[in-house]
Amino acid sequence: MTQIIRTQMLTKSYGPVESVSNVSMNVRRGEIYGFLGPNGAGKSTVMKMLLGLVRPTGGEIELFGERLLPGSNEHLKRIGHLIETPVFYERLTAEQNLELHCEYMGYPNKQAIGEALRLVQLVGTENKPVKQFSLGMRQRLAIARAICTRPELLLLDEPINGLDPEGIQLMRGVFRRLRDEWGMAILISSHLLPEVEQIADTIGVINQGRLLREVPLDSVRASTTEFIEISTSDAALAAFVLTEKLGVTNFKQTGERTLRVYGTELGQEALSKGLILNDVPIESINRRHHTLEEYFFDIIKGGNGHDASRQAGA
Amino acid sequence: MMHLVKLELKKGNLARHIRGTLIACAIIIAVMLMMYFIKDSDSSGAVFKNQLDMLGGIDTLTRATFIIYASSLLSSLIIGEYKDNTMSLLFAYPISRKQLMFAKLSIVFVWCFFSIALTNLLTDALMLTIDSHFGYAGTPVSSGDLLLHAGSVLTQAVGAAGMSLLPLVIGLRRKSVSATIISSIFIVMIVASNNFGVSLSSIVAIPLSLAAIGVLGTYLSFRNIDRADVA
Repeated sequence: MTQIIRTQMLTKSYGPVESVSNVSMNVRRGEIYGFLGPNGAGKSTVMKMLLGLVRPTGGEIELFGERLLPGSNEHLKRIGHLIETPVFYERLTAEQNLELHCEYMGYPNKQAIGEALRLVQLVGTENKPVKQFSLGMRQRLAIARAICTRPELLLLDEPINGLDPEGIQLMRGVFRRLRDEWGMAILISSHLLPEVEQIADTIGVINQGRLLREVPLDSVRASTTEFIEISTSDAALAAFVLTEKLGVTNFKQTGERTLRVYGTELGQEALSKGLILNDVPIESINRRHHTLEEYFFDIIKGGNGHDASRQAGA
Repeated sequence: MMHLVKLELKKGNLARHIRGTLIACAIIIAVMLMMYFIKDSDSSGAVFKNQLDMLGGIDTLTRATFIIYASSLLSSLIIGEYKDNTMSLLFAYPISRKQLMFAKLSIVFVWCFFSIALTNLLTDALMLTIDSHFGYAGTPVSSGDLLLHAGSVLTQAVGAAGMSLLPLVIGLRRKSVSATIISSIFIVMIVASNNFGVSLSSIVAIPLSLAAIGVLGTYLSFRNIDRADVA
């Protein structure tokens, strides 16, 4: 599968402040790429640079296998987008807005407008002026506008914002369909993992302008560590017993009363027996999975996913 | 280019601006009628020395009005799009940004030119008809003078249309509707002011050079637009 977006050392500075710093990302054809990071991490700026709305101060961008040059705009015919809040010509109807978009994009097939509106379930609102639309409807209409020219690449900046749970569900289905049936590559930014983890093939984590990790979600899922969580009123004693009596070194104290034991050969039963025999007051002991959320949160906080947990406990 | 102009007009502002232009035209006629019928309080004569003077008055008022009106067009076509962020939508289309701007500016230029020419034609015809009945303006205009006046109106209209773009230089820098409209008022104050019967615009070279400055200045203000950050 070839790459549709490739950036190398992409940088954007505003004066001395680097809002995007040396970002090298790779999005493949036909995949959904979840671009994850807290607010202000630089997600929108990267997307704007891909669209040519913001000019990079360093690095380079390759789209559809060709290097992006200043002022070039031919590639924009192949991109659909929704950046930040959806904007429209308010006095025009939904259909007129989409028609105008198709005209500017040089896309002659007007039937695609109806199809896009059907996909986002906005049929029946074609003749309504956009100024009467709710935030959720505007969001859906913006997605319809982005896809109505059947682009090869879709850039969606926080597309779930303002949607109700039903709308979110609908959009997830739409994005999957666009990838699976239309072969579209979709770059979706979000500050919430649950929004993208169900649909993304790859996740790129960005914080403070830096791309911290780019990883296929399947491999993260496969490697998310299993651990045993011990809840006790005497964590210090538990730590002592684990190290000195039971020979367990790969653990981490995650709270005042909790410890996590990673990758131990001792099972849950042996651990609880060992702790109880050494008079450690145990409130609970459970086998759990490190969640994806924790994995990415660790990366953003400067750690290294669950690997960091292992090392910290060692 | 014509396609881009058509798309601009499709954005729903056409009817609003036709209405606005007609209202401006009606106000010009009303002001001229008031000036015609309300005589000077300290003299027995009319405001206008003769019919040619009256036509000159109509032309000045019309140009002043439509240079300011053009700034509202600039505001809605360009500044407004920056303010409501639809410009970032527009600049993400596979079209040169300069072409998009030229399309918008040519609408303002052509609109301003035709508004001035047609309002002059309409108001002149109306006032001359009224004056042929009442005769307050005195010496009737000869057909030769009328032809010269028509030529002057068209030249001045080209000048005014060019000048009407100048407020964008300031408006674009500050992305401000009020700055655009206020700078158009300043331009009108300079070029349409009347000192002892001589206004700057009565010297044909001045409005034409200002028009050239207007077109050039406006171009320079967005010459780097293809490389500029939009948002």
